Amino acid sequence: MPILRRRSLLAAAAALSAMPRAVRAATPLAAVAEKDAVVAFGHIGPVSDGGWTFTHHQALLAAKKAFPAAKFLEVESIPVSADATRTFRQFVENGANIVFVTSEYGDLLSSVADDATDTAFLECNGHRQSDNESSYYIQHWMVSYVLGVAAGRMSKTGRLGFVGSFPVAAVYGCANAFLLGARSVAPHATMQVILINSWFDPQASSQAASALIQNGVDLLYTHLDDASCLQVAEKNNVKCATWNTDERRLGPNAYVSSLLLDWNGFCVDQIGRRLKGQWTGGPITLLPMGHGTDRDAWGATVPPEVGREADAVRARIMGGWNPFAGEIRDAAGTVRVTRGQSMTPMALYEWNWPVEGVSGLRG
Amino acid sequence: MSTRTTWAVQRVPEVSGGVRLLATALSAILALIVAGIVLRLCGLPPLALGARVLHASFGTRFGIEDLLLLASPLAACGLSVAVMLRVGLWNIGAEGQFFVGATGAAAVGLFLPVGGTGTTLALMALAAAAGGALWIALPAAARLVLGTSEIITTLLLNFVARLLVDFLATGSWRDARSSVTAQTPRIHAAFAKLPRDWHLGGLHWGIALVIALAAVVALLFRYTSWGFELRVCGANREAARYAGMPVGRRLAEAMLLGGALAGLGGMIELAGTVHRLQGGLSNSYGYVGIIVAVLAAAAPVGVLFSALLMAVVLNAGTVLQTQGLPASAAVALVGLILLFVAMGERLSHYRIAVIRPRATPAGTGSAAAASGAAE
Repeated sequence: MPILRRRSLLAAAAALSAMPRAVRAATPLAAVAEKDAVVAFGHIGPVSDGGWTFTHHQALLAAKKAFPAAKFLEVESIPVSADATRTFRQFVENGANIVFVTSEYGDLLSSVADDATDTAFLECNGHRQSDNESSYYIQHWMVSYVLGVAAGRMSKTGRLGFVGSFPVAAVYGCANAFLLGARSVAPHATMQVILINSWFDPQASSQAASALIQNGVDLLYTHLDDASCLQVAEKNNVKCATWNTDERRLGPNAYVSSLLLDWNGFCVDQIGRRLKGQWTGGPITLLPMGHGTDRDAWGATVPPEVGREADAVRARIMGGWNPFAGEIRDAAGTVRVTRGQSMTPMALYEWNWPVEGVSGLRG
Repeated sequence: MSTRTTWAVQRVPEVSGGVRLLATALSAILALIVAGIVLRLCGLPPLALGARVLHASFGTRFGIEDLLLLASPLAACGLSVAVMLRVGLWNIGAEGQFFVGATGAAAVGLFLPVGGTGTTLALMALAAAAGGALWIALPAAARLVLGTSEIITTLLLNFVARLLVDFLATGSWRDARSSVTAQTPRIHAAFAKLPRDWHLGGLHWGIALVIALAAVVALLFRYTSWGFELRVCGANREAARYAGMPVGRRLAEAMLLGGALAGLGGMIELAGTVHRLQGGLSNSYGYVGIIVAVLAAAAPVGVLFSALLMAVVLNAGTVLQTQGLPASAAVALVGLILLFVAMGERLSHYRIAVIRPRATPAGTGSAAAASGAAE
C-alpha cells in the first residue's frame, strides 16, 4: 500500500518548491524514449539493511515495473569518499539519464553533475540545485512529533533516548521534534542523544542503546538504517520507536511505531518527467507526512488511547497545523522561536540547534 | 631414502625482475579465470563484464583519469611503506599518517588564509608532512629506545588518527550545512587541474607531485650514500653498525620520511579530490599501500606501477557494481585477485627441484642429494 499518491504529491511538491530561494526559468532536459532510458540508483548502505536503503531499493523495483523497457543500474554501499565520484561517473559513462543518489554526497556528486549536463541528478537530503541537479527529502519532523506524543504518554521516567548518526540536521530535527511532541503531553520529559558516527553500524548502535538504558532511559528513538536498537530495547524491557520500515517482529513488545518511508511514487514520477522532457533541476522537494513518510500502525503494547491521542495530532498536522510554533527555547535556554512565530520547512530541514531538554547535541 | 627420485621446494636466492613480473602476470590471469568461473556460476557473463571493465578503465579518457586519481593516494602510501621496508621496518600506519597529514593540511587551509593559492598549498604540504612525521615519531621513539615492534604501534595509531579526524569533523571544524556525514567546510586552496578540454572532472597537479616524490626517493636510494646506508641497515643491522653507520639515526630518518610521505598523500587527496576533511578521505588507502609496496618489492618507481595495478583492480570492483554485482561480491573478487597476485609473487622466489638418486652408497644423506638437485 503506497503511502504516496501522485496527484497529492505533485500539489505538495509544487507548494514547497515555490517557497525557498530565487525562482529561475529552467529549461527541461530533452525527452528520452523509454527503451533508450537508463536510470541509476546509488545507495549509501546495503540494500539488505531492512531500512533506509531497502526502501530506496523498493522505489527502484517500483520504477522497473512502471518503465519495463528502461535499463536500471544500482550500486550499494557507496562510501562518502572519492570512490563515490568514481561510481557516479560510471553511471554517466553507462548513459544514465536520471540518477538517484539516496544520500547526500555534496561536492562528490556535484563535481560529476556539473560536467554531465544532460543527466538529471536527484540527491536525497541534499542542498545543491542547478539546471540538472535537485534534491528531495521527507518532512520527518512531523512524523517524529507524532511519535513523540505517544512516547511522552508511554515513558514512565520521562527520560527519552535517541541513537543517531552524525551531528547533522536530520538528527537535530528528529531528536528535537520527538521531544517537543513528548513535552506537549509530558512537560518535564528530557532526551539524551548518543551519536555513533555511522548510518549503519549495528554493533555501535546496540552499545549506544544499552548505555542509554543504563542511564535510566525507558523509551528509545532511532533513525539509523538498521533495527538493532529495537532488539536491545526488547531485551531490556523498554520501548523503542524506529525509522524506515515495519520491524515489529524484531521486538514485538518494545515496538512503539516507526517512521515509514515510501519513495516509490516520487521516484516513478521524476523518471516519468525526465522521459517526457518535463524534468527540471532546482529547489528541494520535501515530501510531507502522508505522501512519502508516515507513522506505522501502532505497536501491540501501545495503549489504544495513546494511539488515538497521537493520531489526533497527526490529523491536525495533515490538516495544516504546524506544531513547531513559538515559544521554543534551545538547550541553553535562549528563545529561538518567539511566540507567534512558526518554523518554516527550510528552517526545520536545516535545524542545527538542540531544543530545551535535549542533551548530547552541540548548540 | 635417496634411492628414489623425489621433489623438493627450494628458495631461490636471487630472482630477476622479469621472473617476478611473469609470475605476477600469470597469477593475475589465473585469478581472472577463477573469478570468471565464479561469475558464471552466479549467472553473470564473465567475458562481457571483463570487456566492460577494460573499456571503463582504459577505453575512455575519464576512465584513465579515474585510475590515476585513485592511484595517486595509493602510490603515496606505497612510497611511505617502501621507504620503511628499505630499512627492514613495517609501516602499517600509513593510513593514520595519511589522516593526520590531511588534518594538518586542513588546519592550514581552513584557518590560515594567507592569500595566494600557491603559498597556501605549500604551507598545507609542509603541515601535512610534519603531521605525518609527527604521527610516526612516537612509534619511532618506541622502536629505537625500547625496541617496541613498530608493526603494532603504527597500526594502533591508525585508529587514534581516525578518531582525531572524527572529533574535529563532528566538533569544532564541522560544516553545519552537511546533512549526511561529519565533515569540515570546503577548503578553497586546491590543486589546479591539468590543462585540457575533457568532458568530466579532470586530473590535478597533485598527481605530478606524487610522481616527483617517487622520483626523488628513487634518486636518493640509488645515488646517495644515505640511500646505500639505508639499504645496508635494512639488510643487516649488525654489519651496518660494524661498518660504522649510524644505524639508529638512519632508522629514525626512514621512519620520519615514511610518515611524511603518507602525510603528503593525505594533503594531495584533500587538496586534489575531496576538498573537505572527513572520515571517508581515505578508503583504506594506507592498508592498500602495504600491498602496493610489497608488490613493487619496495622499489620507489615500481610503487607507481603497482599503485596503478591496484587502482585497476579496485576500479574494476566499482565498475562491476554498476553491472549488477553486489558490493560484497565485488570486494570478494578484488580480494581473490590480490591473493593470487601476492601468492604468485611469493612463489616466484621458489623453485621445484627434482632430486635424483645418485650412484653413491646409501647414507650420505640429504646434503648429497641436495647438491645433485636439478631444475
